Amino acid sequence: MHIRDGILSPEVCVVTGLISLAAVGYSLRKLRLDLEDRAVPLTGMLASVVFAGQMVNFPLIGLPVSGHLLGGVLAAVMLGPWAACLAITLVLVVQAVLFNDGGLLSLGANILNMGVVGAWGGYAIYTIIRKWLGNGTMTAIPAAVIAAWFSVLAAAALFCFEFGCSTGSQEFHLRGIFTLMVLYHALIGVGEALITGSVLSFVLSRRPDLISTPGAASPIANVSQFVMAGVVGGLAIAAILAPLKSDHPDGLDQVVQQTGMEARQIERDGLVFQGYELPLPSGFGWSTLATSLAGILGTLVVFGIAMGLGKGARWNLPVIESGEPHGR
Amino acid sequence: MADNSHLVTQIRPCDAIPATARLALTLLVIVVSSLIPLEHWPAHGLLLVVVFAGLSLAGVTLGYLARRLMLFLPMLLVFGLSVPITQLHRESAWGWMVSLWLRCTISFLAGLWLIHVLPFPELLATLLRWRCPPLLVAMLAFMYRYIFILWDELARLRQAREARNFGSGSWRRDWVTNAQMIGLLLLRAMERAERTHQAMLARGWDGSPKFLGTEARKGE
Repeated sequence: MHIRDGILSPEVCVVTGLISLAAVGYSLRKLRLDLEDRAVPLTGMLASVVFAGQMVNFPLIGLPVSGHLLGGVLAAVMLGPWAACLAITLVLVVQAVLFNDGGLLSLGANILNMGVVGAWGGYAIYTIIRKWLGNGTMTAIPAAVIAAWFSVLAAAALFCFEFGCSTGSQEFHLRGIFTLMVLYHALIGVGEALITGSVLSFVLSRRPDLISTPGAASPIANVSQFVMAGVVGGLAIAAILAPLKSDHPDGLDQVVQQTGMEARQIERDGLVFQGYELPLPSGFGWSTLATSLAGILGTLVVFGIAMGLGKGARWNLPVIESGEPHGR
Repeated sequence: MADNSHLVTQIRPCDAIPATARLALTLLVIVVSSLIPLEHWPAHGLLLVVVFAGLSLAGVTLGYLARRLMLFLPMLLVFGLSVPITQLHRESAWGWMVSLWLRCTISFLAGLWLIHVLPFPELLATLLRWRCPPLLVAMLAFMYRYIFILWDELARLRQAREARNFGSGSWRRDWVTNAQMIGLLLLRAMERAERTHQAMLARGWDGSPKFLGTEARKGE
């Protein structure tokens, strides 16, 4: 899952890095409000657990390889999306700088794919499903299982998008590699969903109080949850549809020519989203959808940069004094 | 668990460079390697020579390097090949593949150099100097403290499983046991976090990150 340095181009790394910076900064602020002085020990410990949990290999039937936990949704279900996003970020940082697993420059992309989409998006889906199922204790398991599967596929789709941007979509048509990626990650997603579900059912049987229950949230939080869930769901669905589309080779050649022509017409103006079209298979209706998706992502990028720049100056906030700290 | 014997402290030429410069140098090599077009492949070769020189100065043994590369290269080869294989009609795809291999290998080796010359505490200090939020750095420091403890905990859980399982689990049973192991680790860690938190409070922790011997206290 970890993107290595050299796979993504520097400008993609910079853009994803800025988005991740904004997301991590926002998580930090939220976490201070949520956990107060417990933030450091709880999040640090959660990150260590995810890290150690990734060392446990799960056997896959009939295959020489084995899978392992990714942990974004599991962490989010335990301590909420803010702590989970930070925990995954910490895991990725430690893996990159201590074990050379995953790139330094592409750290931002990794955090975006696994921390932001995995934890924020996964938690949004988890919350919505739990509300829909009626918020009983045992609904946590199916909700987390579905959220885990979606988050893995969404991460794969996002990687494909980033990779497409890095190679320059007019030069190559990366349908084949996307199909491979998505098929592979559909498998990984099933594994992740199963592992998350089994771990969670064990935790639920021992300490049901540790599982975070989505309470009544403000309307703004509800809307943002739906938006986040929509983004993740959309990405996952795009990932599922991508290989299906590539099964029609006769239409494909035509499309290749068409998009090739278009690409030549559009000047390469140094932007990351060349041609403002996602490098998804563009068949009937797809290019419109792809363009609109690219538009949404572009907006998100701009919004993220704005937030990152705006909040960058205010990160060294004094500790929020809410209530009497126990230690005094 | 990773073999940490190579991290034993000894005076090396690389240590003369300040930590910030080491990090910046690595990032520079990675950026430059991904910006060089394939036509200028001698520059890639030059970068590789530089990185190898750095690795040998850092005291990385060839055997260790070979082991790490053996894990890394097959994955990279497959990933690189998948691009030209899916579009055989494009000549440029092959060149692009070679360029990807070169970029990734140089970046990987540069990262390997960094983890050998930049001890984690120094990295934390550098992050603080680079205006990284102190809360995040405190979490990183906490995590670094507990990773190895939880690793040992996991090793104990594994040992207990081996002792009771007698080596012959069915696939489903292996799966369930593994999940329970992670779940148990999670529960124990959360309880440990609560205990640690109480202990921190007892020692005067007020929620603000503190670092010994760094400039973090300057602002207070």
